[in-house]
Amino acid sequence: MVTRLQLELAFAALVFATGATGLAGALELDWGWASDGPQAGFFPFRVSLILMGAALLVALQAWRGRAALRRVVVVEGEGGGRVLRFGLPILGLVAVAQWLGLYVAMALYLLGSIRLGGRRSWGVALGVALGVPLATFVVFERWFQVPLLKGPLEILLGLG
Amino acid sequence: MLSNLDALLHGFSVALTMHHILLMMAGVLLGILVGVLPGLGAPNGVTLLLPLTFSMDPVSAIILLTSLYWGALFGGSTTSILFNIPGEPSSVATTFDGYPMARQGRATEALTYAFLSAGFGALVGIIVITLLSSSVASFALRFGPPEYFAVYLLAFASFIAFGGGAPLKTIISMGLGFGFGMMGMDTVSGAMRLTFDLPELIRGISFLVVVIGLFGLGELLLTIEEGPEFKGASGRLSPAAMLRAAAGMPRYWLAMLRGSAVGVWMGVTPGGPTAASFMSYGIARRASRRRAQFGKGEPEGVIAPETADHAAGTSAMLPMLALGIPGSATSAVMLGGLMIWGLNPGPMLFVEQKDFVWGMIASMYLGNLVGVVLALATVPLFAAMLSVSFSIIGPVIVTICIVGAYTVAGAPFDLWLAAAFGAAGYMMKKLDYPIAPLVLAMVIGDKAEDAFRQSMLISNGSVGVLWSNWLVGSLTTLAIVFLLWPLAAALLGRRRAPRAAMAANAEGGA
Repeated sequence: MVTRLQLELAFAALVFATGATGLAGALELDWGWASDGPQAGFFPFRVSLILMGAALLVALQAWRGRAALRRVVVVEGEGGGRVLRFGLPILGLVAVAQWLGLYVAMALYLLGSIRLGGRRSWGVALGVALGVPLATFVVFERWFQVPLLKGPLEILLGLG
Repeated sequence: MLSNLDALLHGFSVALTMHHILLMMAGVLLGILVGVLPGLGAPNGVTLLLPLTFSMDPVSAIILLTSLYWGALFGGSTTSILFNIPGEPSSVATTFDGYPMARQGRATEALTYAFLSAGFGALVGIIVITLLSSSVASFALRFGPPEYFAVYLLAFASFIAFGGGAPLKTIISMGLGFGFGMMGMDTVSGAMRLTFDLPELIRGISFLVVVIGLFGLGELLLTIEEGPEFKGASGRLSPAAMLRAAAGMPRYWLAMLRGSAVGVWMGVTPGGPTAASFMSYGIARRASRRRAQFGKGEPEGVIAPETADHAAGTSAMLPMLALGIPGSATSAVMLGGLMIWGLNPGPMLFVEQKDFVWGMIASMYLGNLVGVVLALATVPLFAAMLSVSFSIIGPVIVTICIVGAYTVAGAPFDLWLAAAFGAAGYMMKKLDYPIAPLVLAMVIGDKAEDAFRQSMLISNGSVGVLWSNWLVGSLTTLAIVFLLWPLAAALLGRRRAPRAAMAANAEGGA
């Protein structure tokens, strides 16, 4: 269970950290104003400051309204669980794709999430898991000639 | 004005080829599909299709993409009415009265009202574009860098003033967009900015990947959280009820005109379709004598947001074409497309690329007509499709998004970015951060910065150039007034119940 207050503060912290990172990056550049106007780091520097400032203000606002925001539940247990069970496999898909290529990762992801996550029959899961990558292959590699990320399997099959 | 009609006729001769009409139908059908499926909306539908148009000629490409946009706008209304699940953020307001109508067994009526009023709104938007775009463009031909910067500033400022989100959160969203847009090579000095010595960041972050994450994956996570079950009215339509509803349309002429006006205004200024539909619904409810019926299945409550939604969607093309400033997230993506196809969006387009501009405008008339017909004809098909369990459709949409993110630049790193922005988009939606300003800032942020720095080169670093003539001076001043608007409103409104305003903001911020 996550309350609105917690999420407001967490996202504000994320924005603040993003701003701070940007600030660090901007300081490596010339962030001044020369005779020909602003230099490369001028806007990154100021945008970072604005982000950090605005994040602080949002956090402050949230803290001042904490009594009310604490009672607002934005993610309740059951829904949050569904989000995690849906979201974490996406990370898995991305990680596996880096290593085995998109087609294999897609097939594994679809098989896993439809069979285990969706509790559908093996037939349905296998059908979708094989059909979607195959259709993707035809559409992208054949029709539109856009090559997708390939891994060892495609190279083995002579498709890479 | 007459020369515009001439140009439009020429445009029809460009647009009306078999190839283009087929593309149009394909685009509308894909668009309806994208609009119907939760998690795939107009902005990222266009984004996903964009890499596939790189090899097309620009006229065909823009016809395909704009048709997809119209289709998505129509498709979003279908799910809103039948299942109370808005397929698009801009069709949220349609659920208020559309779904109650469907539950009363008046689904056919509601859908007919929705599509016809949407078609009407779109038509008004396109007529406005036809009449005004070339004058706006020829006016803008006189613009130099300071004028451009002032117009960009005005666009950003009006988002903060009228975008509908909490001003502070709009600023954060925009600031993030600027920041991500700045990464990579600086176009003025050639220096590497904010790359932190990571080779993956030298190209910068593509806004297309960000759109796929924020709008696509983020939206999916929200949908899955609510446990989507498409339970609702059946998609079976009765032709008799359709005709009866169509015959009843003229009674709502006032609501349609009002909705179109709101929509055109919100589309031309970067308020976007979502804000337009909410605003139009609010105005209609306040003005109606049948106020008590709103929310319980009042046709006017379907017509008002739908007209505004489509009027805003189409008229958002006006500033995109004539000034190179997008009026909505989707047109921001299309603007990016224009640049990728080697066109330079802005007033020169009307001089150098007449075929493209007028072919596109002509195709908008036809595309929306095709849209109304196809949307009505395919309701049963898409309604049936949604009965396929989300446990299958959901993962398939995820793979489409991930593949789309890869095709943007062929970079494995972009997949991680898309996933990260998916998580960020989920949180932003939860906290009522507006997302469209982020996309807009990413697409035109560096153009605005370039314009500013070129102005400073002209003026030897004096900001006074932004007030150097009446045009740029009034634009800049207006922008600053808009920027200070929320502050002034907050100070003035302190005495009135501020909590009520905040609640309304949170409601309308979607």
